[in-house]
Amino acid sequence: MALLQARGITKVYRLGRVDVPALRGVDLDVEQGEYMAIMGPSGSGKSTLMHILGCLDSATDGSYHLGGTDVGTLRGRALARVRNQKVGFVFQTFNLMPRLTVEENVALPLQYRGGHTRRERRTRARALLDRLGMSHRTGHRPEELSGGERQRVAIARALVGEPAILLVDEPTGNLDSKAGAEVLATFREVHAAGDTIVLVTHDQNVANEADRIVHIADGRVAA
Amino acid sequence: MNFFEALVVGLAEARRHWGQTVLSLLGLILGTGSIVTVLALFGGQTKQTTDFIIEQGGFGAIIVYDREESLQPTPLELASRRLTYRDAAYLKDHATMLKGVAPGYFGRHDYRVGDVDFEGDVIGSTPDYAQINAIFPMAGRYISDLDVRRQARVMVLGWAYADSLFKGRPEQAIGRIVNLGGKNFTVVGVMEREEFYWAPWSGNSLAYRNRRSYIPITTAFSQYTGENDRLDFLTLKAITPTGGPAAEAQVRQMMLMMHGVEDFDIQPLGQRNPDDAQFFMMFNIIFLIVGIVSLFAGGIVIANILLASVVERVREFGTRMALGASAFQVFAQVIAQVTVISVLGGLLGLGLGTALTGAVAYFMQQPAAVTGTMAAVALCTSLGVGAVAGFYPAWRAARLSPVEALRYG
Repeated sequence: MALLQARGITKVYRLGRVDVPALRGVDLDVEQGEYMAIMGPSGSGKSTLMHILGCLDSATDGSYHLGGTDVGTLRGRALARVRNQKVGFVFQTFNLMPRLTVEENVALPLQYRGGHTRRERRTRARALLDRLGMSHRTGHRPEELSGGERQRVAIARALVGEPAILLVDEPTGNLDSKAGAEVLATFREVHAAGDTIVLVTHDQNVANEADRIVHIADGRVAA
Repeated sequence: MNFFEALVVGLAEARRHWGQTVLSLLGLILGTGSIVTVLALFGGQTKQTTDFIIEQGGFGAIIVYDREESLQPTPLELASRRLTYRDAAYLKDHATMLKGVAPGYFGRHDYRVGDVDFEGDVIGSTPDYAQINAIFPMAGRYISDLDVRRQARVMVLGWAYADSLFKGRPEQAIGRIVNLGGKNFTVVGVMEREEFYWAPWSGNSLAYRNRRSYIPITTAFSQYTGENDRLDFLTLKAITPTGGPAAEAQVRQMMLMMHGVEDFDIQPLGQRNPDDAQFFMMFNIIFLIVGIVSLFAGGIVIANILLASVVERVREFGTRMALGASAFQVFAQVIAQVTVISVLGGLLGLGLGTALTGAVAYFMQQPAAVTGTMAAVALCTSLGVGAVAGFYPAWRAARLSPVEALRYG
């Protein structure tokens, strides 16, 4: 079985009395170590798919296995645990905690996981920041960082829990082209180190970074 | 989720909305302050009441009076001999719950020594009376059993009477003759001055005890009532300080048996002047109302601030959920934030309450002190209000859907 295996995923939103289908049966496999891009125009359902793949939301129908576990049936606390242990999120708007230092931001997922001492969390956060070339910024607040630096901190935060999969949403959408290129270079390094990446974008140049591109249109995987 | 981190976030939030923080703190401070003050004052008053009762003879002292006659007395009432010396003798022999029985005569007579002359109270009783009421002679002795048996014409003067009859030298009264209602009595003792002050302005609550004299009950009968053994009152003492109610029940039963009708009233001794008590109760109630209203207002303001802060940080909660925070961890974070304000408000309120108690105790000359228990109650109250106020905002934050929260704003 693939690292990520989705079968017949549907998602229907109910708006008042009308059912609005966002996904109409998506089949998707992502192999261990793969770098995949999901492309599609807005309204195509790609964000909904990403939310389901990231366990932020659950599908109306279909099965979803992540790292061998059937996560499609999980809800609430169990789903929060899967997000914490198996998924690393990188957002378009970085979503760092403004009042925490860079190091504290990176250590946050470990805090929610529990079972690590403060020292362990710190060591792991520093190691990752070091790897991404951000060790000179550990004690700074996010507002003191450039956009590219913020996104690299966010990538470090996504990786700190050693997730099965990195879910990336328009990582360069809020960056200028130079910072965007740097962030994309960082993803290349991360991928080279063996991590699995699923990237959602509508930018062809960004999608071209990936090994494989999947197009979504009208809630289905386009041929 | 680290509780300490949540506290840090809470503090930062409190600082960011400092205006609202000050408002909600004000509510909590006034609230806990008032409640601490009420508790301290109430504690002081309870101690005062206890002291007063002990000063008057302690717990377990009981007094029995004739009940006022009905307008249309029943035959049973008419047949009853009312409170008599025989009742006292019977209780002394048979009431197992009592350790002291003092029959009492009360009269008003003319006191005369040389050119000093006034009308005043006279108590006729037995040696038990002094023990029950915790009164002691300052000079000489109290009435003895022998005096009672011999119907001796001896008297023990209250301090104020000895003072006025003997012109400021009460100790010189011993052995002197006092004319009481036309009959001469030899003074065998002078009682200590009795005093108790609820507050400096309220005067000596035991002053009445200094303005009287004591004579043997038998002498009172032979000299003033014409051998009639009717009593004006009966003072009793239970075997233990807490045995009052049990003793009252036994006495009621025995007297009912002897009288055939309940034509008497039984009361514990040493109750506070009801006007004073009412004044203090009013005072306490005002503080209590201020406290409750302040806590209520403080709670509403806190709930508002937290709701605003939760709405403002919806995306942050969404991110935290994406990173793996469970609903409970989000809930705990908001509760931690309100805890910061509550603890701060509770501590400052405790300070205010202590200061207020000190001021009230000083200006009203009342014994009142903040104890550890009161401090704990105040802190718990503040925390409780915070928890109640924080519950809804915290629940709202915890119930957010991660997807919608991330999309928000």
